[in-house]
Formats: sequence, structure tokens, C-alpha cells
Amino acid sequence: MNWNDYETAWKCQELPVAAPADLTGLKDTFESKRRKMAATLFARDLIEGSAGLFVSGVYARMWWLIGKDAWPLALAIALMLGVSVFFIRERIRTHCNRLGPQTPLLAKLTADITELHHQRNLLLNLWKWYLGPITGAMGIFVLTMLRIAVLRIRSETLAMLWRHPLVWGLLLFTLIAATALIWFVWKLNRRAVQKQIEPRLVELEKLRADLLSAQ
Amino acid sequence: MGGKSCKDFPLPATNSLMSPSANHEPLFKTWLEEHRGIIIKVTRSFAPAPSDAADLQQELLLQIWLSLPSYARQAKPSTWIYRVCLNTALTWRRGTFRRERRIEPAADLAHIASDVASPADRAGARELLEKLYAAIRALPGSERALVLLSLDGLAYREIADITGLTENHVGVALTRARKHLAELMKGVTNELE
Repeated sequence: MNWNDYETAWKCQELPVAAPADLTGLKDTFESKRRKMAATLFARDLIEGSAGLFVSGVYARMWWLIGKDAWPLALAIALMLGVSVFFIRERIRTHCNRLGPQTPLLAKLTADITELHHQRNLLLNLWKWYLGPITGAMGIFVLTMLRIAVLRIRSETLAMLWRHPLVWGLLLFTLIAATALIWFVWKLNRRAVQKQIEPRLVELEKLRADLLSAQ
Repeated sequence: MGGKSCKDFPLPATNSLMSPSANHEPLFKTWLEEHRGIIIKVTRSFAPAPSDAADLQQELLLQIWLSLPSYARQAKPSTWIYRVCLNTALTWRRGTFRRERRIEPAADLAHIASDVASPADRAGARELLEKLYAAIRALPGSERALVLLSLDGLAYREIADITGLTENHVGVALTRARKHLAELMKGVTNELE
């Protein structure tokens, strides 16, 4: 048997008479998927984009209430706004660069691989653009508040507060909780790189290499 | 294929960010009728197990439907559908919620064209087709796509349009893919002969 026999057998196959799916069912599926996806994207964009804006608003309000002594909060606001702007820029970039499945296979694979590399780099450098600025903003906020306390609270009251175990306990709890939260976010993103992005990248790169190997 | 061509249907606009609308329905229905063979063959060639076929087929249809607003008539409908189907199938991953309905492996191959004369010949042809599909599924993804396009009778030029490779490269890659397929089919054809 040779290729011609395979072609003959291939052409002899009869296809089911009925259409593969009814449009109503397909539209229902699409609508339900679209609604779920839209809700997820809206929630994600709202959280990512507005969280930074919200925290910046809180810092700005505190700055306004405290007065000029709280000027370092401007740095914290800038850092938080920077994170929000970065998220929005990334969202726009992803939206504009996306290629649909009607693109030739090689171009689609290359675009998908480039995007995955970009996502991988973003998640591996989480400290640079997300955790770093957020930790910095939190640190600036705490130090500014301590500075204000030193400046504005009577020295006897302050000395009494420093001696109180509850104050130390609260500070320690805040420190541990913040560290745990940062570690959790970092770990979650590392896991996404290892379990989702890297295996997918290997798969797509192999596919692309197979397609190009004879070139 | 005497149905209406895509030019008989008004397309609202060509924008990849648009959602398909009621205006796309007639075109979609016609394409399903005219090109369902592509969808079925891609499903049979790429579904890792028969039980995944329904999921993959639904995904292919969904992607065609979703991509319809971006169809700009720069490519033939069949080329465009091959692109959407192969891109989707090559990167498709089995859904988390797999359908419970099981499909018998050979159930959808039960029909072999009537020009194959006797029942024995028909059974032989069906068996060959089953083995051919099994061999195609055993090929790496890229070779699977090339073999499928070649078996469907597409010229190198059309395959190059779909894959984005050069015609020369298609020729080389296809020769290699056919060789792999022949190796996979070797034992099978001995049995059948």
C-alpha cells in the first residue's frame, strides 16, 4: 500500500449527513462562556486597576488630613499609581497584540510563544514591577506614620506606648501578615510559571520547531 | 458543493474585536454545510481519545463562530477554516469538565462511500481508514496537520497559505511526514494485505 491508497481511502470516507452542531446551542455556549469571561475580566481589571488607585486615594486623604509632615506619602502614592498604570498598559498591549486563530499556523505559534515569554518574564520579575513598589509604598506609609507619631505625640505618652506589649504585638503581627501576604503572592505567581506557562511554552516551542525543522 | 458562496452574504465589518452578530448566521450556517468535512476530519485526527471528540468539535465550531467577524475575504473560506481549525486543534487542551457521553471509536467511521463494492471491501476500507486515522494521531502535531491537508488534496501553495511556511519547506516537511506515516502504517498494511 502506498500514499495513493491512503488518499483513496481518505476520499471514500463518508461524513455524517447532519450538520455538526446547531447554531442555537453554539450561541448559547458562546454567550455563557462570553458572560463568564467578561465577568472574570471585569473583576480582574477592577481589582488590578482600581486597587492601586484606591490605596493612592487613601494615602492622599491621610496626607491632606495630617498636613505637610506627611509629604513622604507622595512617594507611596507615586509607587501605587505606577503599579496601576503598568497593569493598564499591559492590558492594552495584550489586547492590541492578540492574534486570532485565523492567522497562519506559524505566525500564530510565534505570536503565542512571544506572548508566553513576555508573561513568564513578567511573573519572574514580579519584584521589579509589583511586589517591590507595593512593599516600598507600605514601608513608606508605616515609617511616615511612625515619624508623625514621634513628632506629634507627647514624649511621655510615646514612651508608655513603646513599653506596652500590645503595641509591639500589633507591629509584629502587621509585619508577619504583610510578609506572609507578599510571600503568598510571590509563590502563587511562581507556581503559575512552573505549572502553566513553562509546560505550555515547551509544548508550543516543540510544535514550532517541528514545523520549521526541515527549513 | 453547490451552495452559496460567501460573497452572497453581506458581512457587517471586519474587526477581530467584534462579536459575531445575527448578520453572520447565514454565512456560518452555509460554511458548516459546505465545509463540515474539514471540521470532522480535523476532529478525528486531533482528538486524543474518541471521548474527547465532542469537546474538540465544539471548540472548533466556537472558534470559527467567534473568528467570523475577522474574516476579510483575503483567503478562500476553506483556507480560512483550515487555519482556524488547525490552530485550535494544535493548541487545544482537553477540557476540565469532560463530557460523560462516550463515543464508540469506530461509530462515526461506519459509513464508507458506496463506490466501494462488496461488504467485505467496505469493511476493509473502513479498517484501513481507522488505522490511517490512528497513524495520523500518532504523528507529531505539525506533521499531522500537513498530512491531513495533503490527504485532503490541497496543493503546496494552499498548504503554505494555511501554515505560513514556504512552498519549498512544505514539500520537504511533507515528504518527511509521509515517510513517518508510511512507517506507522507498515505493520497495518501487511495485516490488511
